[in-house]
Amino acid sequence: MKDFRTRTAALFLWISAAFFSTAVMAGVPLIAAAASIRPALEEISTRYKEVSGESVRLVFGSSGTLANQIANGAPYVMFLSANTAYVEWLVGLGLTQGSPVTYAEGVLALYSRSGLLGETENPLMALDDALQNGAVQRLVIANPEYAPYGSAARAALKHVGSWTRARQVLLLGANAGQAVQYALQGDVDVALVPLPLARLAKLHETGQLQVLPKETFPSVELHQQMVLLPGADQKTREFFAYLQSTDSQGIFMRHGLLVPGPANLALQP
Amino acid sequence: MLSIFLEHDLPSLGVDFELPIGTLSAIVGPSGSGKTSVLRAVAGLLNTERSRVSFDKDIWADTGARYFRPAYQRPLGFVSQTFGLFPHLTAVENVEAALTHLRRRERSREAQNCLDIVGIGGLADRRPNELSGGQSQRVAMARALARKPRLLLLDEPFSALDHSTRKRLRVELKRLQDALAMTVLFVTHDLDEAAELSETLVLLRRGKVIQQGPTRELLRRPSTVEAARLMNFANLAKAEWAGSDASGITLRWGDVLLTAAEGPKSRPDDTIHWTIRTSDVFLVKDNHPNESRLGTILPAKVVEVIEMGSSALVSVIVNNSGGEVLRLQLRPGALHRHHLSKGSPVRIALHAQAIVLLN
Amino acid sequence: MDWNAFQLSLQLAAWTLILLLPIGIVTGRWLAKTQTRARPWLQAFFALPLVLPPTVVGYYLLVFTGTRSPIGEFIMSWFGVSLVFSFPGLVVASILVNLPFAILPVQRAFEAVSNELHDAAACCGMTPWQTFRRIEMPLAWPGVLSAAVLTLGHTLGEFGVVLMVGGNIPGETRTLSIAIFDRVQAFDPLSAGHMAGFLLLISLVTVALGYGVLERRGPQRQKSA
Repeated sequence: MKDFRTRTAALFLWISAAFFSTAVMAGVPLIAAAASIRPALEEISTRYKEVSGESVRLVFGSSGTLANQIANGAPYVMFLSANTAYVEWLVGLGLTQGSPVTYAEGVLALYSRSGLLGETENPLMALDDALQNGAVQRLVIANPEYAPYGSAARAALKHVGSWTRARQVLLLGANAGQAVQYALQGDVDVALVPLPLARLAKLHETGQLQVLPKETFPSVELHQQMVLLPGADQKTREFFAYLQSTDSQGIFMRHGLLVPGPANLALQP
Repeated sequence: MLSIFLEHDLPSLGVDFELPIGTLSAIVGPSGSGKTSVLRAVAGLLNTERSRVSFDKDIWADTGARYFRPAYQRPLGFVSQTFGLFPHLTAVENVEAALTHLRRRERSREAQNCLDIVGIGGLADRRPNELSGGQSQRVAMARALARKPRLLLLDEPFSALDHSTRKRLRVELKRLQDALAMTVLFVTHDLDEAAELSETLVLLRRGKVIQQGPTRELLRRPSTVEAARLMNFANLAKAEWAGSDASGITLRWGDVLLTAAEGPKSRPDDTIHWTIRTSDVFLVKDNHPNESRLGTILPAKVVEVIEMGSSALVSVIVNNSGGEVLRLQLRPGALHRHHLSKGSPVRIALHAQAIVLLN
Repeated sequence: MDWNAFQLSLQLAAWTLILLLPIGIVTGRWLAKTQTRARPWLQAFFALPLVLPPTVVGYYLLVFTGTRSPIGEFIMSWFGVSLVFSFPGLVVASILVNLPFAILPVQRAFEAVSNELHDAAACCGMTPWQTFRRIEMPLAWPGVLSAAVLTLGHTLGEFGVVLMVGGNIPGETRTLSIAIFDRVQAFDPLSAGHMAGFLLLISLVTVALGYGVLERRGPQRQKSA
C-alpha cells in the first residue's frame, strides 16, 4: 500500500510540473497571414526585430481559413491575405479597422517533374497535351474553395481548357503550403503553387519551375491585401507601416512576389 | 417482539408475523419463496410497497407514516450468503469497518477482540482471499457482531460451506447466541438445519407464510397440506370424518377405520387430509405383546423397498384403504429381520397421537 | 524545440485531468448504480466523442461558443473570456473530447463493486458517504487511475479539436502537436522530427508511470468469496 502511495505521488508531481508559469506573451501583436507568404514574412519580422527591437507573433494558414477564424472571434490584430476577396468580406462584416492596403502581388508558378513538359514557351499548353496523353498521374493545387492560389490555379487550368481532365488527377492541399508539401514529398507530376514557396522548397532542383503570367488566370486576382483588425494597438500599426516600407518590399521581391508601385521588375524563377 | 409486516405486488409478497426477542428464529422455504427478500426488508436493504417493521417497539419502517429507516441506522448485524467480506481489507480491518464510531486505537482493539470471540484471533492480518470458507464466515460473523447489535440477520449462513464445517459452525452459532442473548433470525432452505437451531420456525412459500410457531410443535403437527409438504411429510392421505368421542376422532379411510387423537368435533365440510411421519409408522410382528398400545393395527402389502445407507424406505398399501401408498422408515437391520420384499404381507400400526389432521 | 508549446501541452493535459476526473468519478459512479431507463442513451451520449472526429467536435464548439454566438457573447460579457482561440477554450474542448476516457473505465470499476458489498457496508453502520470513501473508491481506484492515464495520454496528443478551437496561437494555443504541424508546413522537417520524438518520449513515460502504479495494485485486488 505504501509503495502504491509513493508511485501515485510521483505521477502527480510529474503532472504538476506543468504548472510553472508560461512566458507571458500578451502584448505581442498576433498576426494572421496567408501560408504562401510565410518565408517572406518570417524574414521581414526578423528584420523588424533588428531594426526596431519589437517582436510580432505570426500565425499562418490558408486565407479562407484565417478569415473564417476572424469571423468567429480569433484574437488576431492584423490579417495578411493572399487576395482581396477575403479582406473585402471581413470589411463587409464590419470586422476590420481602417482601410485595406495591397502589400504585394502573388505570383503563380507551374512545377513539373523533370522531362515531363520539356522546353516550352507555353507551359499550360504543354500541360494540356500531357494531360491528354495521360502522362500526368497527379496534379496538386491548393484548395480553390478557400486558398487564393488554388483559385488562381483552377482559373488557369480552366482558361486553357484542361480543368475537366485535370480534375481526374487532382490532389488538393488545405493551403498553399500543404500543396507545396505534397509536391515535395512524392510522386507528384505537376503542381501549381505560389512562387515564393516553390523556391523555398527548392522545387526548381527537383523539376522544372516556370512562372505563369497574370493573363493565364483572368478573373482571379492575387492582389495581396492586408488590413488591421479591432484590437490593433500602436505596435501593430507600426508594423503595418513597416510592411509597406522599401525594406519589406525588397524582401517580398526577393522571395518571388511582385510589389505595387514603380519597383515592378520582371521575375526570374 | 420483532414485528414484521410486508406486502408487495411484483414479485408477490404478503407476510405478517411476530417473532420473540432473544431467541433464534428461522425462516424456511424453497428457493423463490421470498425468504431472502423478507430478511433484506427487515435489514432495511429493501423496500416493499407496504411495510411495517418494528423491533421491541422501535419502529424501523412504516409506509403508512412514510417512514423508512435505512439499514445503516438500524442496530443490526447482517451476514449474507457469500459473506460479503471487503476484499481490499484484512480480516481485522473488515471488522473495524463496522466500528467507525470508535476512535482508531479503540477500533483496532475492539476488532481484534471480536475476532478472538469467534475463534480466529490469529488470522487478523489475512486477506479474504487467504481465508477458508469457514474462516471467512467467522470474520463476517465477527463483523456483524462488532457493533453489539440487538438483531443478527443471517442469509443461508452455512450453505456455502462443506458438511463438516457446517456442523461445527452450527454448534458455535448456538453457543454465541446463548452467550450474547441476541435475537437471531436466519433464513435457510434446509429444514434440518432450521430444526436443529431454531426455537421459532416460519414456513414461507411463494411469498406467504404457511405456518409459524415454536419449532418443535410445527415439526410435530403441520397445520395444512402445504405445510406438511414443505416439511417433507412423505405421507399424505384423505379420509372421511366418521364420528368423535372421548378417545378421539374416528376416520374412515377407504373401508378402514382409524382413530386420531386431535381433530374437529363435528363433521367438517370437506374430506379430511391427514398425515403421519414415516418414522411414526411401525411394523408389527405377529404375536406382539400388548398390541393394542400401538394404535390401530392394519394389514398391508409391501409395494416397494428402497435401501439408502443408514435407513430404508418401505412403501406399503394398506388393505381396503383405497389404494393410497403409505411410507415408513426402517433401519436396514429391521428390514432384513422382517424379511421384507415386494409383495410381502405386513401389519402396520398407526398411533392416534401420531396421526395429524390437516386443513 | 518549442519549450513554450511543450509547456502548453502539459498544462492542457494537467488541467483537463484535474477538472475532468471528478466529473468522471461522479458520472461513472452514477451510471454504474442508476436504474433509470435512459441509461443506454446516456451511455451512448457520453461515448459520442469516441465516434465523432475531433474536428467535428471542434467545429461545433467554434460555431456554438464562438464570440459571435449567443453562448459566446454571454460568456464574454459575464466572465470576460472567450472560449475560442484561447487556452480556457482548449480546456473546455479537451474535457468534452475526453469524456468517454474519463467515464467508461470508472463506470466499469464501480459496476464491479457488487451489491453484496454495498449491503454489507450498510449493515456495518456506514453512511452512504463512508461506503463510498472506504469501500467503493479503494476498489474502483484502478479504474479511476486508468481513466486518468488515458485522459493524460490522449490530451498530450490531441490535435484536431485543438486546431479547430484554438487556432495556432503561439503562447496561447500552440500546443506541441500543433507546433509539429506548423514546422512541417514551414518546410522545417528537422524541428518537426525533434519535437515529435520528444512528444513520443513524454507520452510514453507518462503512460508507463501510470500503469506502473496500476501494476502494483493488481495482485492485491481480489474477488470477494
